[in-house]
Amino acid sequence: MTLAADLRLVLGADRVLDHPLDLQIYAKDAGVTPGTVAAVVFPETTQEVAAVVRIAVVHEVPIVARGAGTGLSGGAVPTRPGLVVALTRLNQIWEVDEAAHTAWVGPGVINLELSQHTTPLGLHYAPDPSSQSACTIGGNVGTNAGGPHCLAEGSTVSHILAVELVTAGGDVLLLGGAAPDPIGLDLVGVVVGSEGTMGLVTKVLVKLTENAPEVRTLLLAFPTIEAAAETVSSVVAGGIVPAALELMDRPMIEAVENFKSCGFPLDAAAVLIAEVAGHPAAVEAEAQLVADAGAAAGATEIRIAATAAERDLIWLGRKSAFGAVAYAAPDYYLHDTVVPRTRLVEAMSGIYEIGERYGISMLNVFHAGDGNLHPLVAFDAKEPGMLEKVRAAADEMVKLSIEVGGALSGEHGIGLEKRDLMGEMFSAVDLDAQARLRDAFDPIGILNPDKVLPEGSRCFDFGLVANLDPESAA
Amino acid sequence: MGWETDHAPRQDELDGCVTCGLCLPHCPTFRLTGSESASPRGRLAAMAAVAAGTAEVDERFEEVMGLCLQCRACEPVCPSVVPFGRAMEGARAEIAVQLPTRRRKLRAWLLGRVLPSRTAVRVASMLAAFAQRLRLHKLPIRLLSRIGGLRRLPLGGPSRAGESRTAAGERVGTAALLIGCVQDAWFGSVNEAAMELLTAAGYDVSAPSGQSCCGALAAHDGAAAATERLAATNVAAFANYDVVVATAAGCSAHLAGYGEWASGGEELADRARDITVVVAEAIADGRLPRLPPRAISVAMQDPCHLRHAQNVVGETREIVSAAGYEPVEIDDKGLCCGAAGAYVLSQPKTSDELGLHKANQVRASEATIVASANPGCEMQLRFHLGDRYDVRHPIELYAEACRGFS
Repeated sequence: MTLAADLRLVLGADRVLDHPLDLQIYAKDAGVTPGTVAAVVFPETTQEVAAVVRIAVVHEVPIVARGAGTGLSGGAVPTRPGLVVALTRLNQIWEVDEAAHTAWVGPGVINLELSQHTTPLGLHYAPDPSSQSACTIGGNVGTNAGGPHCLAEGSTVSHILAVELVTAGGDVLLLGGAAPDPIGLDLVGVVVGSEGTMGLVTKVLVKLTENAPEVRTLLLAFPTIEAAAETVSSVVAGGIVPAALELMDRPMIEAVENFKSCGFPLDAAAVLIAEVAGHPAAVEAEAQLVADAGAAAGATEIRIAATAAERDLIWLGRKSAFGAVAYAAPDYYLHDTVVPRTRLVEAMSGIYEIGERYGISMLNVFHAGDGNLHPLVAFDAKEPGMLEKVRAAADEMVKLSIEVGGALSGEHGIGLEKRDLMGEMFSAVDLDAQARLRDAFDPIGILNPDKVLPEGSRCFDFGLVANLDPESAA
Repeated sequence: MGWETDHAPRQDELDGCVTCGLCLPHCPTFRLTGSESASPRGRLAAMAAVAAGTAEVDERFEEVMGLCLQCRACEPVCPSVVPFGRAMEGARAEIAVQLPTRRRKLRAWLLGRVLPSRTAVRVASMLAAFAQRLRLHKLPIRLLSRIGGLRRLPLGGPSRAGESRTAAGERVGTAALLIGCVQDAWFGSVNEAAMELLTAAGYDVSAPSGQSCCGALAAHDGAAAATERLAATNVAAFANYDVVVATAAGCSAHLAGYGEWASGGEELADRARDITVVVAEAIADGRLPRLPPRAISVAMQDPCHLRHAQNVVGETREIVSAAGYEPVEIDDKGLCCGAAGAYVLSQPKTSDELGLHKANQVRASEATIVASANPGCEMQLRFHLGDRYDVRHPIELYAEACRGFS
């Protein structure tokens, strides 16, 4: 029997797609690289996920988990004809523990809707990727997603207590637990950020965070991007950790304002969005500190959101940024590097220089507070040779970030897009250790193969096996 | 292979999608299925595949496009402002030409010839009125059962075509009323309320007799030739009025897109308004009164073609408040009720799921009056809510309240 026929036996005809049109529709996520899909399935229970995995194993078809497909690194795109397991229907909020501030949720639950669900309890789920209105908790777990408010709260991994995982063998495991420091190895930490290479997450125990009693959002406009970056450094050096510190340059402001008038000044070279949250007295003082730092750096405008609606509008503008790029070009390639905050200005000028040298159009919006840069290259993939040019510039930008002491990726995951740059960050031995950990979870290499780790990550591939494999060494 | 008509999705419309996916949670069919193929981004990807020559306009393409409600909830949330509704009408026009089935030809005839014929709609209404009296909608036949969603129809009644009235008080301009196809026959009291309120607000009002059905349903079904013909008729009939007012959200939204369908259409689109916008404006100006409050809740249902296609939300609340009622929100996302014009017949399963969901949202509000500014939504709500609920156009509620005070 064919793969699709076997899958239909378990899920029924409606929950398996294999028409060539559907396979094309599922060939991409929000990144730029298309893959090849053999079939798409929509399981509704953990048992169905396990059954689907067993069928894929029998047919030797790679398995790729997918949530809302808002990922930017190709993590949900199969590289060889693979089975896409859409986890969108596992979208139940099973249980909210008001006292413990935790919730058991399905991976298909939409990030923002979880926070909306717990609003009446005065709680929210803290990691807030820009795509939070669409992206799923499962996808967040896969990429260890961040977001503007992760500056103070930490990224996804700090908010996941336990996961239910379907392994490559079709077994169901429960990793972690409600206790703050579970006994044994931290396997939850292994799964978070593993992009579906360790197993398929079918349930998640998340930590919920209390809503701050007071929030103040500031919008600061600057005549140069350096002045904005300087403000970031002096705010953090001043000893406070704002809830969020976000920077946008002029091309990005123009694109966003084209979508909706969010009140960003169009004549500024850069705007900084700063948010402080906490006890009313502290918030008052911290907001003043941010405003003073901005004024000292030469801010041309400092505005404090007076109403919740004004605050929402500022955040709508910020969170629509990636999607608004069509204003500049039909495709975009997005970076996710991290640089030390102290070298922000230097890194930014280097990145602008690379963009100019390659003659590519660039828009910038990023989490300035933690030095997580998102230079965004707008281009038309239909122009021959363009994608290659964009990739070459991208590689240079990543290398530059690593050179100044930064990292390859902050929060979007490695997936396909950043995979071949892993060697810039890690030595052969580092990569081998990661590959072995992965093999322990998925010895047959069927879970999202070709992702995260570049080809040749196992020392076996280098012929170094004799030095490192304890059995052969013995 | 590829596109064959001038209405096809245009490359710049398809390039407008940067595939960010922010539309997904706002799409009712994505919410129900969790499937990319049932999402705006997926549908644009399918259109792009046809444009690129890697897919054909085949039966699966037709299914993927056919499941779309054309509610346009994806449009206001799209940061790259993709005109999705326009592209979808283009895709439907391509399907009509490339996969001409007998069924679709019949539909094109119904939507392009029968619906715009006042005589035909009158005859059909009379039959439906008899069917209501014989309680035929209790029979298990879908088309007949939907008669249960209609208001109680008169066995006959006057059309407002050709009627005109002069402004009461200070004159602010001239208004033409698009009386609509079914609106004229089935929702006469909505048009009556519109004429009363427009004259009271200072307009000389006419319902020019040369007008026709706006063509929205034909456009949604891909019947491009009929859509163009109807648009041209209305462009001629509505020349020389300051504003052109529609009393159905689906009609006013379609008039706003006339630039696509007729020469001179853009100019008409600039003058076209939904009745709720004109009335809310008159209330704000003090040309129409605010009546004292009376502590009765009204559940607000937003027709997609007002809320998503025209960004009209506050206006309906204003009108209901000015009538003395307390507007109650039932759905912060404004998810489609599943009526979506002919969708109620073409995609019964999805339509029923969404209709039940919307009815439950109304029930949870504890209001027994529902305000809805579109005939399709009204019928869907009445069908799923039953007789205990009073589903009315907001301007009807307001006009009635005004009558009580004059």
